[in-house]
Amino acid sequence: MESKVGAILQVRNLSKNFGVTHALKNVNFDIQCGKICGLIGENGSGKSTASSIIAGMQPATSGEMFYKDKPWKPSSVLEASKAGIAMIVQEAGTIPTVSVAENIFIGKYKQFRKGPIVDKNLMYKEAQKALEIIGVTHIDPTFPTHLYDMQDRKLIELARAMYDDPDILIIDETTTALSHYGREILYKIMHRHAERGKAVIIISHDLDEVMEHCDMLIILRDAEIIDVLERKDFNPDDIKFKMIGREIKGSYYRDDFDGYSDEVVLKAERITTMKDLLAFDLELHKGEILGIGGLSDCGMHTLGRALYGLEDIVRGSVKLPGKNNISITSPKVAFNNGLGYVSKDRDTESLDLNASIFANIASTGYKINSKGPFISAKKEKEYVMTQVNNLAIKCQNVFQPVRNLSGGNKQKVVFGKWTAEDADILILDCPTRGVDIGVKAAMYQLIYQMKKAGKSIVMISEELQELCGMSDRLLILKNGKVSGEFMRTEGFDNTKLINCMI
Amino acid sequence: MHSNNFTKMRSMSGLSLSDKFAVIKNNRFVFTALPFFLLLVVIVFFGATTDNFFGATVLTGIFNQAVIFATLAISVSLIYTAGNLDISIGSAMALCSILAANIYISTGSVVLMIISSIALGIVLMSINSTLSTVLNVKAATVGIVMMQIYSAIRETLLGNDAKIVVSYKMSESLESGFRPIAFILFFLLVFIVYTKTPVGRKTRFYGGNANAAIQAGISKVSLQYIGFIICGLGVGLTGIFSLIRTSGVTITTGDGMGMNVMLATVLGGMSIFGGAKSNSYAGLIGALTVAALNKGLLMIGVSAAIVQGVRGLIFLLIIYLSSERQATLPSRQQF
Repeated sequence: MESKVGAILQVRNLSKNFGVTHALKNVNFDIQCGKICGLIGENGSGKSTASSIIAGMQPATSGEMFYKDKPWKPSSVLEASKAGIAMIVQEAGTIPTVSVAENIFIGKYKQFRKGPIVDKNLMYKEAQKALEIIGVTHIDPTFPTHLYDMQDRKLIELARAMYDDPDILIIDETTTALSHYGREILYKIMHRHAERGKAVIIISHDLDEVMEHCDMLIILRDAEIIDVLERKDFNPDDIKFKMIGREIKGSYYRDDFDGYSDEVVLKAERITTMKDLLAFDLELHKGEILGIGGLSDCGMHTLGRALYGLEDIVRGSVKLPGKNNISITSPKVAFNNGLGYVSKDRDTESLDLNASIFANIASTGYKINSKGPFISAKKEKEYVMTQVNNLAIKCQNVFQPVRNLSGGNKQKVVFGKWTAEDADILILDCPTRGVDIGVKAAMYQLIYQMKKAGKSIVMISEELQELCGMSDRLLILKNGKVSGEFMRTEGFDNTKLINCMI
Repeated sequence: MHSNNFTKMRSMSGLSLSDKFAVIKNNRFVFTALPFFLLLVVIVFFGATTDNFFGATVLTGIFNQAVIFATLAISVSLIYTAGNLDISIGSAMALCSILAANIYISTGSVVLMIISSIALGIVLMSINSTLSTVLNVKAATVGIVMMQIYSAIRETLLGNDAKIVVSYKMSESLESGFRPIAFILFFLLVFIVYTKTPVGRKTRFYGGNANAAIQAGISKVSLQYIGFIICGLGVGLTGIFSLIRTSGVTITTGDGMGMNVMLATVLGGMSIFGGAKSNSYAGLIGALTVAALNKGLLMIGVSAAIVQGVRGLIFLLIIYLSSERQATLPSRQQF
């Protein structure tokens, strides 16, 4: 990791904190000219954070960078792109309502100006050239961008990045949006770029892809660099081990193969919602952890809401076979029949931020803690304190407003209100979102204990690793339909899973 | 406890003056105690500066002045807690007074008079709640419309005379016995419902975050009805209090009452946006403070205009002290 000759970018002791969450901890690495460098690691390991700091999207909390041997502290994407660092982002990076050419030259219309007027024809011609540089001929630069699909839009972004012939090209998890054809174009460009002595950084979840195309790999885990490997040292098992570090973390996820009962406790029968889901079927068994994964717009979040009665179901029904086949028509019915729901949007949906830890946890126990028409202060205190102690919620006292707690502790409060209520079926939508590693481990333990106690859990997540680590059965959704079903007993294969997602 | 306070004070030593103030301001005991403290200050101040502030006539006067606002403010506490408002309560109260006066004049029965007033209060508030749930409109909006309608009915009923007068003797007989007892019972009822039953807790949680409350199986409609029915009970009771105070009803009875109740509630330390910091007694404290302040300032010879000014200043101070600091952590953005 020492400075080497030919390093175009040097990163030294770079850290980034979001509140109490560390996204990067004292990271050091070099980016070499003429090499393709892969940045790999689990979700939340800090890959995107590192690259977005290099590309000027956000500032670092501390540390330094040197670009072409000068201190590098970009204040905006524009500054970075002028200096020769271009990045293709994970999410959509084009404006759908304007033409392809305008997207390619966004922020750079000046060069086409003739007096006060932008010469569109000249711009279209240049855009055509930009597309040809990357070997794309089927896209018409005069057309509005929204006429093109996700893949073509990514290619438009690529054309925009390559037109300036950047010294460093950063590609952030773009390949998941591309088909074989798109990928081939991208790989060709990457290699050509490196051969011409420029640097390429690629962030990817696809191990085969990075092993095939990269000259070196930087492996990140939990915001730290675990290893930097040269091509000759690539070994898939070693890389996987370093990425996930399962052995090191011990029982971070569960490591058993315990099954679950055949008894169906929750059943969705051909449910159709206003958006996302069309005639969707699902069965949840007693003692099962059912993982639901997919790209974020695949419908999995809507599914979670629909199962808890929060989404209007146009057709079909969600039933509880164990409870006289009662239909879940509202959150109230769900709640009264032993369901619990942890929303993806914790702060706006799961907590009253101004209320105390006590009030938030007690909110699920009004019925349980009642004696006749009154609430028993003793019962309620016990109800709350059991959770605060078991979950080790860090606070001065339980009357502290929840809003002052860290993300992890807030999520513990949310978990607490459902474990206190002793819900039989829990629907968890991104339960470890924005939570640090230590709390994550505690949550996984808790989920596993619930399974052991015969509870049934639907775990919706955008993190494939935790789904693989925790699920008994894993459903991958795509466009509101199940595109793959995998069993823990057969082992989860990341490549297969990802193929089902896209 | 002692060591905890000690470390807290020590940790504050590094803070700037404004931060120190914010820490004190946001302390939950300070927040809860402040309205009581203010009332105490008013009482001690006038007790020291006037001769007979603690005399029976003065205290009775303060109670008489405060009781109407206080009862109304206690009635709306659940509605406010849920994050709702209703300013039609003043006009609704006037209608209760009119019905009660007419019943008394035609039957001569005090019991019927009281029952009819309370029944009408409950009916009127149930109408408000029903309109709000059926039309799916915020209760505050319904309240504005209903205030106009109830006022129009009041004017139509009072007709050309513009007032109804009841016997002074009957009024006087109710003032000393019935009124304080009814007031205390009503306050206890609301206090118990608010703090000891699930209704109060649920309403408070709902007012804080409706989404989270719904996900915890709390039903908005039933909570709203309970809140409005309790409010109706208070409105009907206040109809009687108002009737016996002036021995009648006039064309202006109830005017501006909805707004004054709101002011008393805020002065008592409660947010009109509801939620976690709400309680059932804020209106009572606020109404007592205003009444004591009015009486005391008049007793030391301050003119009515200045009384109003002083009231305004105290009001601003309270608003400032009870306002939230918008100190949110930066949200996590990922690229």
